[in-house]
Formats: sequence, C-alpha cells, structure tokens
Amino acid sequence: MDNQYADTFKEEAYELLTELENSLLELEDRPDDPELISRVFRAMHTIKGSGAMFGFDDIAAFTHQVETAFDQVRTGKLTVSRKMINLTLAARDQIKAMLDGAGKEGAVDAALTAQLIAGFKELLNEEQAAAPPAETAMPQPSPSGPPPVEDPVTFRIRFRPARNIFANGTNPVALLNELRQLGDCRIVAQMCDVPLLVELDPESCYIFWDVILTTTSGLDAIKDVFIFVEDDCEISIDTIDGGGNVDDEAYKKLGEILVERGDMAVEDIEAVLANQKRLGEMLVEKGMAAPSQIHSALLEQQQVKEVRQERRQKEERARAQEAGASIRVPAEKLDVLVNLVGELVTIQARMTQTAVGREDAELINIAEEVERLTAEMRDNVLNIRMLPIGTTFNKFKRLVRDLSGELGKEIEMATDGAETELDKTVIERLNDPMVHLIRNCIDHGIEKPEVREAAGKPRQGTVRLAAVHSGDRVLLTIEDDGAGLDREAILAKAVEKGMVAPSAELPDQEIYNLIFAPGFSTASKVTSVSGRGVGMDVVKRAIDALRGSIAINCRPGLGTVISIRIPLTMAIIESLLVQIGADRFLIPLSLVDECIELTRADVAASHGRNMATVRGHLVPYIPLRQKFSIAGTVPDIEQVVITEVNGTRVGFVVDRVIGEHQTVIKSLGRAFKNVEGMSGATILGDGSVALILDIPQLVRSVEEGDYLALSNEQSTLKKMI
Amino acid sequence: MGKVIMTADDSASIRQMVSFTLKQSGYEVLQAVDGRDALQQLGSRKVDMLITDLNMPNLDGIGLIKGARALPACKFIPIIMLTTESQDTKKQEGKAAGATGWIVKPFKPEQLLAVVKKVLG
Amino acid sequence: MSVPAITETTQYLTFKLGEEVFALDVAKVREILDFTTVTKVPQTPDYMRGVINLRGSVVPVLDLRLKFGMSATEKTVNTCVIVVEMVVEEEAMVLGVLADSVQEVIDLEPEQIEPAPRIGTTINTEFIMGMGKHNELFLIILDMDRVFSEGEKEAIVKTEREAVVNE
Repeated sequence: MDNQYADTFKEEAYELLTELENSLLELEDRPDDPELISRVFRAMHTIKGSGAMFGFDDIAAFTHQVETAFDQVRTGKLTVSRKMINLTLAARDQIKAMLDGAGKEGAVDAALTAQLIAGFKELLNEEQAAAPPAETAMPQPSPSGPPPVEDPVTFRIRFRPARNIFANGTNPVALLNELRQLGDCRIVAQMCDVPLLVELDPESCYIFWDVILTTTSGLDAIKDVFIFVEDDCEISIDTIDGGGNVDDEAYKKLGEILVERGDMAVEDIEAVLANQKRLGEMLVEKGMAAPSQIHSALLEQQQVKEVRQERRQKEERARAQEAGASIRVPAEKLDVLVNLVGELVTIQARMTQTAVGREDAELINIAEEVERLTAEMRDNVLNIRMLPIGTTFNKFKRLVRDLSGELGKEIEMATDGAETELDKTVIERLNDPMVHLIRNCIDHGIEKPEVREAAGKPRQGTVRLAAVHSGDRVLLTIEDDGAGLDREAILAKAVEKGMVAPSAELPDQEIYNLIFAPGFSTASKVTSVSGRGVGMDVVKRAIDALRGSIAINCRPGLGTVISIRIPLTMAIIESLLVQIGADRFLIPLSLVDECIELTRADVAASHGRNMATVRGHLVPYIPLRQKFSIAGTVPDIEQVVITEVNGTRVGFVVDRVIGEHQTVIKSLGRAFKNVEGMSGATILGDGSVALILDIPQLVRSVEEGDYLALSNEQSTLKKMI
Repeated sequence: MGKVIMTADDSASIRQMVSFTLKQSGYEVLQAVDGRDALQQLGSRKVDMLITDLNMPNLDGIGLIKGARALPACKFIPIIMLTTESQDTKKQEGKAAGATGWIVKPFKPEQLLAVVKKVLG
Repeated sequence: MSVPAITETTQYLTFKLGEEVFALDVAKVREILDFTTVTKVPQTPDYMRGVINLRGSVVPVLDLRLKFGMSATEKTVNTCVIVVEMVVEEEAMVLGVLADSVQEVIDLEPEQIEPAPRIGTTINTEFIMGMGKHNELFLIILDMDRVFSEGEKEAIVKTEREAVVNE
C-alpha cells in the first residue's frame, strides 16, 4: 500500500514545503496573521498525518514537534518569534532532506534532526503556559477480526439510544446488524415509549432494544459495536450465562428476568403470582407490562436454555469420544454386515409375502413390524458406510496446487457439495479415476496463463469439483474453464484405430465420448488382456465397476465438463416392482413420479408417437414390451410408470405395477457388462430373479435410437433416390 | 445502486487512498479539497456518507459538518471525521457539530472499510 | 500327437449337446443344476439365455448350442445347467452353461488327446482345447476361458459395428 500512494504523498509534501517556506517568510513580516499561522499549522499537520499513513514515519515523528509548537501559536499560547521562524525554516529544510533521501540510509543528518527537536522543545518550555493537558488517546474503532474462539457466553444487552440520535447520522439498525454478526441473536424492539402519532416527532428515536446475544467474541467485541454512541446512549450489557454452569438447564424465571431488567418491581410480580395463571399473561392483562417486554424476557429464557442444552450435548459427545465411544471398524466387517442385512431383507420380503398368502392377520402384523425394523436396520447399516465426499475433494486441492505449479499454470480449485455423502467404498474407488481426470484437466485442459490472457480469459484457470444427489445416484462433475477438447484430433485418432469409419458423421458429443472407448488410449502399450495402463479407458472401467456412467462434453475454447453418475449405494434400494408378460422388473423408486393408465384407445390416439398427455403436458413413453422383445399378448390396459431424470419426464409402459419392493442389488456380472438398460438384478421373495432397470440409460438409448433411426431413414432414403 | 461516499481532505494523497480503497469495495467516491468545495458539491449531489478531515483551508471539518447537517439531504447521513491522535477535544467538537463517528490517522484500509460498514450498514 | 498345453492326466466331465459329446476340465466345474427357470435379460444376444438364482447369487447362463450354431436348447427332463468357474482377466467368473444331458466323469491321459482338426466340426476351433478319445468315441474338450472371452469380444465388436454402420 505504501508504495502506491508514496509518490502522491511526496509530490504533495514538496508542494506543501514550498508553500510553507513562503508562508513562513511572510509570517516573519506579519507574525500575528491568523490565516498565515493556520496555513503553516495545516501544512505541518498534513505532512505529519499523511506521512504516517504512507510509511514516512520519521518525517511524521519529526514534523509532530513542529506541529505542536504551531498549535500553541494557534491557540495563542505562543507568539511567533524570529527564533521560531528560523527554527521552522531549518526544520522545513530538514523535512525536505528527509523526503529527498527517503529510503536511503544515512541520507539525513540525524544529529541535526535531534538538534532541531531540542530547539522546539526549548521554545515550548520557554513560553510555557499551562502544560498541555494530557491528551487521552482516542479509541480507534478497529475492524472486528476473528478473536480467539472462547466458549459461547450469553449477554443481555439493553440499547436505549438518545432521543436525538438520528441527528448525528447514527443508524441504530446498522448497530443491531453488527451485533447479529457476533453470534446468535434475539432482538426485541420495545415500543413502550413511542408516543401517539400526534405527538410523535419523526426525527426522534423513541424505540429501545433488548438483545439476547450468544457469542464467542467476548464482551469487548460488543462494546466495540457501540463505540461511537456510548456517550450518548444508555447501554447496559449483562452476562446472563457464563458458559460455566452446565448442570442446570433451567434458567431464571420470567419474573426474575423482568425484575433484573428493572421492568417490574418484585412486589408487583409477587402480587400477580398470587393468582394461578401464567405470569406473563397476567402481567399483560393487567396492563402492567407490555407484551413486547414479556416477549423479550421469554426469548431470553429460551435462548439461554437452548445454549445450555447445546453445551451439555456437546460435552456429552466429547466425553463419549474420550471414553472411546467411537470404534474403528475394518471395512470388511461392515461388508459382512451389509450382506447379512441384504439377506435379511430378502427373506423378510418372502415372509411378508407368505403371511399375506396365508391371510393370517396376526402373522401379517408381525411381518409388517419386522419389515419396519428391517428397513430401519438397513438404513442405519448403509449409513454407517456413508462419508461426505469433502475429504476427497480436499485431497485434490493439494494435487491441483502442486501440479499447476509444476506445469507453470495458475489454477484454482473450487468445490460444490462437499457435504454430499457416498458409500465409503465408492469414494475409495473413485479416488484414482478422479485423480486421473483432474490431472488431465490441468495438463491438457487449462492453458498457460499467457495463452489464456491472449484469449481474453483470466490468467487463473478454475477446476470445479461438484457433487450432488440426483435420485438414487450421485452426480459428480469435474469442470474446467480451459480449452476444451480437440474434436478433430479425437476423430482422426478414432479413424486411425478403425473405431470409426472415415466418412462417419457423428455428433460432437459422441466424438468427445470416444476417448472413453476401449482401445482409444494412446499411452504406452496397453495389452488387451491385462488392460493395465493409464488412460481414459481405465477410468471408464473403474466407473463401470461402480455401476456408474461417465460422459464428457465441452465448449471449444471455453471449457470441459466431465459428468460421472454413480449409484448411491451398491447394496439396497427401494424400487417399484412391475410386470411385463411373465417377467418382472424393478424401477428405482427415487426416480418414479407417478403411474397412469394406458388404454388401447390412448395408444391409438397418439398415432404411434408414444406420447401420453398428463395434466396437459406431453410425456414420451417407452414401450418396454416392444423394446425388450417380450412375447405374449398385450393387455388391454397397460400402466405407464412416469419417471423423472434430471428434470426430464419419461414414461415406461408395463403390464402392471405390483408394488414397492426393498431391493437387494445383485450385480449381473461381467457377462452383462455391455448390456444396456439393466443396472443389476435381485432375487424376489419367491426365489426368482428380477432385473433392475437402468432408467437413465434407457432414456438415453432411446434418444440416441431415435437419432439413429432418423439417420437410418435418411440413408435409406438416399439409397432409394 | 451503489452507495456514494464523499471524501473531503486537503491532502491529495489521503483523498487518493480513501478513494481507491472505497472504490475497490464497490462504492462510488466523490472528492472535495476542502469544506467549501464539499458543501458546494453537496448542494447539488446526494451522497450516502461523508468522510472529512478536520483541518482544511477555506472551511474546516467542523464547519463542513455543521453545514452538511443543515442541508436536508444530509441531515441524517453518517459523517465520519478523520482525526489525529492528539485531538481528543476535537472529537467532542465534532460530535457536537453532528459527526457520527471518527477514524484516527494513521489508519489502514481495512479500518476505513470497517467503519464504513459499521455506519452505513 | 498330443496337445502341448495338456501335460497331465486330468478328469473331465462329459456332456451332450445334441449328438456331439463335449468335455470340461472337472476342476472348473462347480456344480450341476437342473434347468428350471431362467430370467432372460433383454437386449442380449440369443446365446445369453439369462440369469438364475444360485443360492442368492445372480449367475448368467449361456446356451452353448446357440453359441455353436445349433438350435436353441430345449427344456427337457435331462437338461442341466453346468456351473463353471473361470478366471478371465484375473477376475473369477461364475457362469452356467446349458447341456442337453450330463454323462459322466472320465480320466483322460495326455496321449489320448489330439489337437483340434482344422476342418470337420461346425464349431469355432478357438474354443477347442483338443479332441479326446474315449471308448472309441471322440469328444470335444472345450476351453471355457476362450468360449467366454470370445463372447465378450464379440459383444464389443458388435456394438462397434453398429456405430460404424450408421454413417
């Protein structure tokens, strides 16, 4: 900061010194001219004040002496003498020398400085009138930096501004807001002094405020808030809960509080308490207290109670931790537990089914209860394994920092949704792929600072990691504002590897996603059998193993976005059991919006367009029987299960909807790695296998299928022409 | 709409520093070289806050504060005076004239911003 | 003339697909089940008949007849599911294969095994580890690892071909 303004100050100071010289010379002829005296004083004052601001402390200290002397002259305690003029002129020269030599060691004759100072002191002593009153240092309002965090203390603050406080520009609300910054605050405005409208002076302040503040910042921080107004206003600050007494959650009674505040007299309270109603109500009823007074006192009670409660809970937790109430558990043990819960869920479903089949009311009740407990157990067990992804994000901050430094790039990492929880295993298995992807961003995505500047972008690039729950999945995005992908290069390489025909016309999105295709990776010799090696295909494999999906998109020159969708849990989900023909399928319940009927008439009415109208909106549907080539006759009335994925509503046509089902997910295994539309399987209560539909994938495949069908049509047409 | 703050000071370097610091935080800044200049500008332009030095030629800080308070548009705006440590008596004078608060010179940019936030809200 | 890869006397499980007799290294066979129901997984090749519930695990079932170009396996009282375990790319894989009937477990010495003929079978010789002679009958010793890996690769090639076809 100093350097920025130093030059301006120097310029200003030189000017002032020149003026000063002139003024002093004139002053010699007219030693009583108040204007000249003022001018000289001001020059000194400014040089001193500004000097101190901008780092010229020696000048400021020296000038202070001269200023003091002229202050005395100004107030008539000292008269201008020839001696003084000489001294001041010499001082002026010395200041100039200091300016000239600023920053250079030994440029100024220190002895001379001392001599001059002595000279001024002498002057002051000679003409001593009353010794200048010891000036009390003015308190400097300081920016409230975070003080060391102590235990929260609760204060009761009554802020009663002077009636004319507006006249000096004070805004009480600003002060209350400042209090709010310090912590948990409950404020009640007391209006009892506000007169009737006819008598009210709009430029006066009649309101005072009762504030209950729980803060870790300490009493001084509170006093600081009122630093400008403490002389003119009534401010009382009382500690009402000091942080020490944990045992007694019960706080003062309402009556005590009112008496303490001076709002009520003890006798009045007692008199009213003689009746049996609640004190507060009665006081108000009798017109002895304003509702707002009661309200505020009750708030105080409540706040302190809450603070104490929380404090006690925190201490219990701390004690529990110390006592070792948290245990480290090997992940394998948890896995066993999860498996067992899975088995339990399956057999419990069978029990329910059997109970219903037997039509035994008592048994059904028991089965329901078991179902409820099993669900709770399932949730709790799965929860044990959930961790916020934030810790993983934080690890990457270091990676970004180090790597960008190495590569000579300026990159910042931002995160969103660090609190999003995922299964521990999933997080662990995501680590390596994410490291690889982030490295890619930094290495290939974000350009060097010079390049970015030339392109009109900020020098610093940003890598943004975000995580958010979406239905039964977590959506992870890695976004950078770099150069994006090189479409042509990717296409060329794909053609070279025989993955794509040279004349193929693929939409950009598909081209970008080619980098995930097996065999695309260029780095080193990746053998087709072992599949080891760096590369996007390894990333994709890892994501696939998690039953997730990964896609990449970019805007050339603007940035790239990698989206990874992972199922929340690898174990158990709630689904909707549906039936088509003799086969049963499951749709994750979190994606299901509603079910509607589809009659033959409806189908006919849509003219083969597979659209249904739901409350005035068109919803496309996928005829699963057709898509899955399931044999059998189509029932007259079918059901459309309408799902919502990322804001898009798509329906799935089934024969009937059986009901909700707690689904233990079984992987379909490698054999079905490339199968579209299924995200897993489960074993139903009767022992048969039902498949779990991968709704997002089905939606996508149909979208692409439409595209392919369209282009097929077009090429067929072309051949015909 | 951003808030408009006027700084009145005969020292160009102080004006520059105050102006720059406030502008960086999104405020619009008007500069006046002394009390008279300030009052003249205040006659035609509404400001949300005034920061004034106490020692200025033509019309000093106290005079400016009194004059500003007499203008209807400035009657209730926060006015902060810039003082040096040895002017405790000036503090009283300033308050009597209608100043809202003060900042002691020398001050750092953060201190300036903290006071502005405090009184402007 | 023996097959270089086969160096020891090994036990094999023999089974029939149609009229042909096949053999599998017993070490790879986990168990044999009756063929009751199988749940078809939509959008999979015909030879992937579906999945079954094997004591809580979901196990895929291959129709070898279809894989070898014959007609689909029909469900009869003799039809079985042979559950085999293989190692593919360092991962253990369990899957079932349909057999019209299961015969017996026999011993074959390396001398009794010959390399697969280039011609004369309708089956892709990649899958064949060798031809065994037993009691005057020739049986085809299957290399299950290859059978499956081929399937995988085929699937990949299939999707790629689809991508290319749509120009």
